[in-house]
Amino acid sequence: MIHLITGGSGSGKSVYAENWLIRQGGREACGKEKPFLYIATMRPFGQESRQKILRHRNQRAGKGFATLECYQDLEALEIPENAGILLECVMNLTANESYREDEKDAQEKGEDKVAEKVLEGIRHLSEHTAYLAVVTGQVDGDIDSYSEETRTYQKILGETNQKIGEMADQITEVVYGIPVPLKV
Amino acid sequence: MELIVGGAYQGKTEYARRLFPDISWADGEDCSFEELCQCQGILKFHHYLERRMAAGESVADLAEILYQENPELVIVTDEIGCGIVPMDPFQREVREQTGRVCTALAGKASRVHRVICGIGTVIKG
Repeated sequence: MIHLITGGSGSGKSVYAENWLIRQGGREACGKEKPFLYIATMRPFGQESRQKILRHRNQRAGKGFATLECYQDLEALEIPENAGILLECVMNLTANESYREDEKDAQEKGEDKVAEKVLEGIRHLSEHTAYLAVVTGQVDGDIDSYSEETRTYQKILGETNQKIGEMADQITEVVYGIPVPLKV
Repeated sequence: MELIVGGAYQGKTEYARRLFPDISWADGEDCSFEELCQCQGILKFHHYLERRMAAGESVADLAEILYQENPELVIVTDEIGCGIVPMDPFQREVREQTGRVCTALAGKASRVHRVICGIGTVIKG
């Protein structure tokens, strides 16, 4: 079961995703032996991201999550047994895959390759869990005044979100903490 | 408390005035904290938050304080944070904190409306 969760910055998507996983009861069903896996994709670069990571860690504390860091190549991640997976988030993963240090950037290697890699990662996760919550976001709600590079990123993310949306059993947009169902 | 959210220029103010024709409105562009606590409705609440942050003040507990001081308030605010992350660190902070404050207020509100193309939908209550 895949649940895609979207919304603006600071809208409470993560808390909603955590609580959705807990409500599915996967952890109770296995006698709390298996953890929920939290897949963190944000590179801890600079003080601001470290603070963000810390805030998210505190937010999940005591809820039964084990954290796995994965900045790229999600499709090759070894996934331990679990009661559910939370992937946070498609925006960072797409950016990381777009601007890899070991490869050409998205514009040169082709947008489709980035999107396909992210989707492959998500399929891989869904094959190793009963409940997958995928957090993404919207970066398209503004005037078209960005650089070519940024527009490429917006396009890849928008198209990736659509494809995850096709795979997903459920899609929810979180508006200032309020879940608005888009696909049920 | 009621919250009316939505993107910029979607007709939130008109929707709010239609829904609450007889209340007094403050404007987030220039109102003081005292006015915010005494008014019945506030327009452009996100500008109020940005002004406080630009003055170097924290808005972390504003939702709690506002709910205690003015529990019947009607808040009209832009829904932001749906574009590309800004380059400027202050703008990033404004975006993040506006989200947090509005999420806390939406949690307290008895009703939350979202306005798109002039059409309001009740998403809570």
